[in-house]
Order: sequence, then C-alpha cells, then structure tokens
Amino acid sequence: MTNKDRTTERDGETVDILVIGAGASGGAASAWLAEAGFDVMCLEQGFWQDASKYASASPDYEFEMMTNWAIDPNVRQRAEDYPVNVSESPVTPVMFNGVGGSTILWSAHTPRFHPSDFRVKTLDGVADDWPITYDELEEYYDLNDEVMGCSGISGDPANPPRSPRQMPPLPIGDDGMRLVNAFEKLGWHWWPSDSYINSQRYGEGRDACNFCGHNHMGCYQRAKSSTDLTYWPRALRSGAVIKTGARVRRITTDAAGRATGADYIDSKGQERHQSARAVIMAANGIGTPRLLLNSASDSHPEGLANSSGLVGKNLMFHPFAMITGVFPEKMNSWRGPLSNFAMSQEFYETDRSRGFVRGYTYQFQRSLGPAWVARGGFTDPIPWGQGHHEELEKRLGSMMGMAVIGEDLPELHNTVDLDPELTDSDGIPAPRIRYTLSQNSRDQLDHAIANAKKVFETAGASDIYVDPMMQQSGWHLMGTARMGNDPAGSVVNRWGQTHDVDNLFIIDGSIFVTGAAVNPTPTIQALALRTADHIVAERADLKGRAR
Amino acid sequence: MSTRTPNAEVSEAVVSALLDCLIPAAGNLPSAGNMGLATEVIRLAGGQPRFWGLFTRAIATFNSTNSEFVKLTGDDQDLAIRSFEVDHPDLFGALLDISYIVYYKDPRVHERIGWEGKPPQPDGNVMTPWDESVLDSARKREPFWRRV
Ligand SMILES: Cc1cc2nc3c(=O)[nH]c(=O)nc-3n(C[C@H](O)[C@H](O)[C@H](O)COP(=O)(O)OP(=O)(O)OC[C@H]3O[C@@H](n4cnc5c(N)ncnc54)[C@H](O)[C@@H]3O)c2cc1C
Repeated sequence: MTNKDRTTERDGETVDILVIGAGASGGAASAWLAEAGFDVMCLEQGFWQDASKYASASPDYEFEMMTNWAIDPNVRQRAEDYPVNVSESPVTPVMFNGVGGSTILWSAHTPRFHPSDFRVKTLDGVADDWPITYDELEEYYDLNDEVMGCSGISGDPANPPRSPRQMPPLPIGDDGMRLVNAFEKLGWHWWPSDSYINSQRYGEGRDACNFCGHNHMGCYQRAKSSTDLTYWPRALRSGAVIKTGARVRRITTDAAGRATGADYIDSKGQERHQSARAVIMAANGIGTPRLLLNSASDSHPEGLANSSGLVGKNLMFHPFAMITGVFPEKMNSWRGPLSNFAMSQEFYETDRSRGFVRGYTYQFQRSLGPAWVARGGFTDPIPWGQGHHEELEKRLGSMMGMAVIGEDLPELHNTVDLDPELTDSDGIPAPRIRYTLSQNSRDQLDHAIANAKKVFETAGASDIYVDPMMQQSGWHLMGTARMGNDPAGSVVNRWGQTHDVDNLFIIDGSIFVTGAAVNPTPTIQALALRTADHIVAERADLKGRAR
Repeated sequence: MSTRTPNAEVSEAVVSALLDCLIPAAGNLPSAGNMGLATEVIRLAGGQPRFWGLFTRAIATFNSTNSEFVKLTGDDQDLAIRSFEVDHPDLFGALLDISYIVYYKDPRVHERIGWEGKPPQPDGNVMTPWDESVLDSARKREPFWRRV
C-alpha cells in the first residue's frame, strides 16, 4: 500500500490536532502525537514525492536542478509553490513544498546548537537568551537523531559529549583530506560532520549512500533522511492523516479568539474548512508568519497571535559566504555528498578581539560534474569563448569549497509581511521579505573569508574564488515568531504555545530566539518533539476521544 | 530551419551561431553549434515554462539588436555577444546555462574530457571507506566549547 492510498478524506469531523505543513517539524510532531493517541490531521499544500523519479537518474539532471527541481520556489514555480517577493532582500529564501517539506532538497548536515547559543544575552550582551537550555533539549536531539538516523562520531571537542551516533561518519575522501590536513597544519579544529545521510542501511527501506553527490535534488537511494521516509510512515501507521494539495488560507478563530481550525483550498480548487481542537503551525519561518498575518480577525486585528507585534519580525537567515579553491591535482571531487563530510568550529564562540560577537562554522564542500563546474559551481561561470576548455579542464574534479555559516542576530527591521499585490495561484497574499545584513554579520563573514583563504593556501590551492555572500542561501528560516517568557516580547512560550491563543502552537524555525551558527533542523525537530511531548503530558483537554 | 512554439519563434541558425562563439572547437570536436547542438538546446529549454520564457526573451532581445548576427565575422559576433552580456546579464546567463548544460551532456564531449557520462543515479560512485585513524590528532584536543 502506498502512502497515498492511506490518505483518507475526513472533512466534517473535528480532529484533535491540525498540523499545517508536512515538513521537518510537522512530520516529527505528527508522529509523536499520533503515537500518543491524538487524532492528527496535516494539511500540506504539496504532494508526496516518488524517490525513484528524482531527477538524479535523468540524463537531463543538470537542467532539472536549475528549473523543475530548483531550490528557489520563485524559479521552480510548481503549482504548489508560492511566490516570495525578494526585491528588498539580498538573500533569497529557498525551500521545498511537499510531504517532507524542505528536507526533500536539504543537504542533511545536522550539527546541534551549543549550550552557549541559548545564552547569548547573558554571555555576550546581545539579542536575548532562550527561555530553555541545551540540557532541556538534549533528550529530544537524541530522539530525533534516532528517528532520522545520524552518521557521525562522538568525541568532538568543540561540542558537549553526545550519545553514540547511529552510524559511522560518511567517508572523508582523498579530496576532503586536503582540507582536513590544512586545518591540522594550522592547528584549527575540524570534525566529521553529523549527517542525516545513511553511511549504512538504516531505517525503513533506506539504503546506504552511494555517493552520487546530488542529494539536494532528492535522494534516489533514500539514503538521505527526509520526513516523508522517517516520521510520516510512523505517523500514518498510528492513524494520522495527511491531506496533500491542501493549501491553507487562514487559521480560523471563534469569538473568544481561540483557534477552531483552518480554511484551505483542496487539490480540486474547492474552498474547505477543517475544524480542530488545536492547531500546530509547521509551515516554516516564512510560511508560518505569512499565515498568521493572513489570519487577522476581530479578536486578532494585527494578525493571529500577534499582540506583541513580533509575528514576521526578527527574520534570521544564516549569512552564507562561499570560498572555493582549485587544486592542481585531479581529486574526483564530484564523488560523495556535496556538503556533508566535515566541519570546523574553531571560530564558533565569541572572541571580542576579532571585532565581532558570536561566530561561525565552516562546512566543507565538494563539487559536481562538468556542467555544474562550467556554470561556476559556487562561483562565477567559466568564461565562454577562447580559454573556456582550458579552464574547465583545470577545475573539473579539482574544486573544493568552504561554506561559512555565520550567526545572524535578530533585528526588528528584518521582516516577513504580506505583499500588497503579489499572491499565490489561489489568491492568498504572498510573503514579502525585507532584509539587510548587519555589520556584525559582515565582519564575521570577512573574518571567515580571510581564514578560509589561509586554509586553501595551506592546502595548496592554485586559485581561490570568493562569493562574499551567496544570494540563493536562505535555507535557514528563523526567528519570525520568537519564543520567550514575556508575552509583550515574544509570540510563543517555552513550549511553543502562543501567548495569545492557548490552543495554537508553533514548532518550526519561526520560534528561534537566536539562530546560532549551525544548520537549524535538528534543533527545529527537537523543539517540535518537545512541544508534542508537552501536549501529550499536559493537554489531555485536546484529545476528543479515547483511542 | 526554425522551431515553432506557442510563445515564440526561435531560429536554430541563430542559436547555432551563438553556440559556436560560446563554446569553440576543442580536440577533435568542432564548436558547439557545428556539433549540431542547437536543436537540443531549443528542446531542453522547453522543459520548464519559466525557463522557456526566459530563453525566448533572451533570443528575441538578442535578435532585436543583432538581426544580421549569423552573417557577421567571428570577432564581430564575439563583440555582439559581449555587449549583450553586459546589457542583459540575466538573459545572457540563461543562454550560457543552457548552452553549457547541453554541451556537457553530449557523449562526444564526455569522451573528449574523460567524463564517465552517466546520470548520478542509480550507480553512484565509489569512495574509500571511513577510516577512524584520521581523527588521531583531532581527538587529542581538550574540549573547548563554552560552558554556561
Ligand atoms: C537546499 C536546502 C538545503 C538545506 N540544507 C540543510 C542542512 O544541511 N541542514 C539543515 O539543518 N537544514 C537544511 N536546510 C533547511 C531545512 O530543510 C529546514 O530547516 C527544515 O526543513 C525546516 O522545517 P520546517 O518544518 O520548519 O519547514 P519545511 O520543512 O520547509 O516544511 C514546511 C511545509 O509547510 C508547507 N506549507 C507552507 N505553507 C502552507 C500552506 N499555506 N498550506 C499548506 N501547507 C503549507 C510547505 O509546503 C512545506 O511542505 C536546507 C534547506 C534547503 C532548501
């Protein structure tokens, strides 16, 4: 039986929990709650993906990667995508809309926050502390690692000790060792990455990675973890229902301002309503504030759960720079996952002598095949005309990269709001992004670029290219409905419950207080599991019938 | 010959001449246009409505200032393309992308550059397995994460 066959129509019934969005966080919470006996329904605007049809097996995979499988929804333009106005942002948000959400296209590089990331105000006098600690989240990180399946190895001196990983690390490769050796020569930290990519068979019908390199197109081998392969099968087995092609227009409320469900447009274009005892927002750091703002009503005139005025504010991406080195030797650097073998956190914690607060992670990168290299990879395209062939010959199989993930601090003027004109294909206002890079972030990136050049020089690179801030790098969407203890200064409390509406929860990256300097998804999913656990323990009132 | 589409007419001769300039002859292979790749460029560009729109706009915009392009000498053709690249970087970018993609998926090019030339899946690649001894030195470092 396919997952699609299991999807049943249940309009009319009131469900216990209505989850909006079937991505990283929606999958985790739905499985947890369904397994605890809650009646869970998820509305997802996209569809199930068939791994055997991912573009990596097509002879036109390079074209597909640039068009129908692009990471930017404004470029991909599938019917289920919504447009995003990015005219006032140097960074473009990227995502995927479907069962599995952005984990369909993600790299699955999965470091954790550091304990200090939850205490930036206390330690560094900037932004705000989280109302929770690393220790409170640790058991949920472990749980999530187990379900998603983590390749890696414990013992990293840059991080607190952690449980044994489910699988050994992905291989470093001869190409990776070039960078590793340079870090060692410089006396700088490096460690094999935690990755939610199978280095061995793990999970339900999920193979080991066969090093094709193209995990960002969807993983044909099912070696890369995505929630359609991990949490959703569990959720469905426990009775959860997903409605695909169901685009939510607004969260509905009663006269008292409590959530009553959602209005949505089904896959046939019909307007429908699904009623629920509670609603969980899991539509990501752009989709969630968009829906909350579009759900304004008499009881919530500025948008749902927005009495603080902070819905859509404090948008954080991770400012991303990319440094590429070309080596004189051929290293076949297209073999192996593009960005998942190792990282360095030498410059992670604050050192004020560097001229900025907080810090950054280096995520080591490989490269891909000839068309990708000709188109520039992470730098400018190879020149056309005379000299083209010589340059391609020089770079193919010889390029490595270092991505910089800097900590972007929350700023009120970085926002998501509703575009006054642009809409999606159902007429729902599209999100508009306004974002400027702070001086602190710029200083971090410049510091990182200078050090990355040292690494490449030490490693023997013949040419070094720098992209000082990648435009298409808004993969981490955070902060737009932040967590906090004070209802005047935050949207949700320490459990992800909105201060204004007791039966409305948010579990995606919107609730981040700060963004740390690592990829956010293990933290998003750990928080989602924690909120679900809280609902199980404390909110029996949301369960309609004994199951 | 020209290829008719619902949106626009794209002249294969123009695309072919552009390809010849963008990707010149190499080794035993002629330039990309002379390899006969224009047909495939036009076909593949139609693989997504958005991209097709960009591509046809690029060709139409190029044609509007270079109606005699195919008749120019090589140097003048290069100059025409350079000025199009400066004036319309996005449209030019689309042309360059599709040209490179089609060129580098051609088996003759694979043979010339020594590329195996299969899609990434289902075969994948082989890597030297993980070897824990690479951590011998990194493991010696004392923990340095910041306690709170
Ligand atoms: C190319 C790429 C690479 C990435 N690499 C990494 C990485 O290496 N490590 C890492 O930690 N993170 C990575 N990320 C980010 C990661 O994918 C996200 O952090 C994570 O998926 C966010 O989870 P989420 O549940 O908040 O949202 P998503 O996973 O984005 O899911 C949101 C879902 O909500 C649905 N939705 C939105 N609006 C509506 C609506 N109105 N009605 C119905 N449904 C709706 C969407 O269709 C979508 O399926 C990457 C992302 C991308 C795009």
